[in-house]
Amino acid sequence: MAPSRAFTRLAAHRRVLGVVGRQYQLQRPYYSYDHPPPPGPFNQTEHAILSAAYTHVPEHGFTQHALSLGARDAGYLDISTAVLPDGPFSLIQYHLITKRQALAPKSRAIFNALDAAPGDGAKGQTMKIDDRVERLAWERLLSNADVIHRWQQALAVMAQPSHVPASLRELALLADEIYHLSGDGAVDPSWYTKRGTVSTAYVGAELFMTNDRSPGFAQTREFLQRRLEESSKVGNALGGVAQWMEFTAVAGVNILRSKGMRI
Amino acid sequence: MAARPVLRTAVRAVRVLPQSGPSRSCSSSRHVRLFSTTPRSFKSPSDHATSTSSSTDRTTHFGFEDGISEAEKTERVAGVFHSVAESYDRMNDLMSFGVHRLWKDHFVSSLNPGSSSSIPPKPQHILDIAGGTGDIAFRMLHNAHTIHRNTSVHVTISDINPSMLAVGKQRSLSLPPSQQSALSFLPADATALPASILPNSIDLYTVAFGIRNFANIPLALREAYRVLKPGGVFACLEFSKVENPVLDAVYKRWSFSGIPLIGQLVAGDRDSYQYLVESIERFPSQGEFRDMIVDAGFVVGGDGYENLTGGVAAIHKGMKPLDG
Repeated sequence: MAPSRAFTRLAAHRRVLGVVGRQYQLQRPYYSYDHPPPPGPFNQTEHAILSAAYTHVPEHGFTQHALSLGARDAGYLDISTAVLPDGPFSLIQYHLITKRQALAPKSRAIFNALDAAPGDGAKGQTMKIDDRVERLAWERLLSNADVIHRWQQALAVMAQPSHVPASLRELALLADEIYHLSGDGAVDPSWYTKRGTVSTAYVGAELFMTNDRSPGFAQTREFLQRRLEESSKVGNALGGVAQWMEFTAVAGVNILRSKGMRI
Repeated sequence: MAARPVLRTAVRAVRVLPQSGPSRSCSSSRHVRLFSTTPRSFKSPSDHATSTSSSTDRTTHFGFEDGISEAEKTERVAGVFHSVAESYDRMNDLMSFGVHRLWKDHFVSSLNPGSSSSIPPKPQHILDIAGGTGDIAFRMLHNAHTIHRNTSVHVTISDINPSMLAVGKQRSLSLPPSQQSALSFLPADATALPASILPNSIDLYTVAFGIRNFANIPLALREAYRVLKPGGVFACLEFSKVENPVLDAVYKRWSFSGIPLIGQLVAGDRDSYQYLVESIERFPSQGEFRDMIVDAGFVVGGDGYENLTGGVAAIHKGMKPLDG
């Protein structure tokens, strides 16, 4: 494909931006900096009701009651919550989406702090991608801490058949966000396995966390680290198995050919 | 269809007569509304003369016929509905395989009237437009009184046709007395609601399988906007467009061949059910109708609609903004 005009213009744009532009290169290259970001999933009204309702979640859970209380706090009527397309599930989505979006500024703060830390400089940049992924997944888990005693209820709602596609999509976006923020730009088939791995580990750790009573959720972090480690081991093993199968298949075909079969 | 002009003449003749009560004559029933039997015939005395005075000039459509004046549509949609109640439930069950009950249940439970965060609960006033037979209103009372134990919910059933309201009244007699006392009946034209419904006084405005037959839908939406409280919700259950092409082909075949046939066999009235399927076909798609709701000033959440049974029917909801 010939370099498109848009790409050329983007490159020119970066040159003009100079130093700031160089920072941008760390971000997704398919982002457009010439257009405003697409509107968020919630409009102003939904945001007003949901953000007010979210403050009632620790006490009342992800329920219709919390929504009604939120609507009242925001100056709406009891019936106004009917306009939210999925009722309590909208509240869960609000949690998932706001916490995912909060991950980007958090990750900048974390890695900048590591860079600035005394000792060997630029530690944040030399950190391995796997370690960054673990750090970010842990950061995302920590942001569940305020509502963790209500999270089993939320998981039950998310597992309802009509909500499963939206929940899985949100999980996929989270995995994507974690890999993007960790600076991984690989576009080979491992794209899928990486995201699958971090999704599985994250979901398992989240479930573990709902029953974790250890101070600072230390056991959850150990659990997360074990899962990520295991899956990288499994990934290596699977790679070995695939290599072995490929070799065997080729050898089998060659044996058949040597017997005179036209393959 | 040779009998059609004859039938129409007969209907016109009947229409002139003053109608005192439910007529049993099937031949006089020309146009039947599916699922909610609320013809738009009688102009109630109202203060909104501006909206009715010009309705003779503007044109609209009636089924696949174009160039009908709004007044004539109002009159023709009305036809004679009084005999409908008898075959109403049977016809709806046959045509939708009973699914219309599930749609209505889902519609009401998704609105969840009567749920309140305050103790004692705040009173709610619900206006059920085109709700003559009480299908939606009774479900809402059940939801509020039985599920939420909230007796401060009042439902006004409004319909343009007094005889349909009489059917609803008759049916409401089997409700518990507490629910009966929370009901009131109001004959009114949805495009010009009477002064007894104050502006900014309604919590929830519902219309189920009725808005398709309104002579002027944008006007009815603006009227809904006017009477709703800021934060109040407009909710509409209506036939819509099937999005899956395979299901759509089956559905079209059923609606254009099956439904008129059933109408002929069961209700003895093919033309009415022919109008019914034509009016469904003419009704705007989910997205277009959502845009009409937004144009009237409402805010919608998410897509603004929810498809039922793959889009055979759809629920549209809109909220009057606080600064509205």
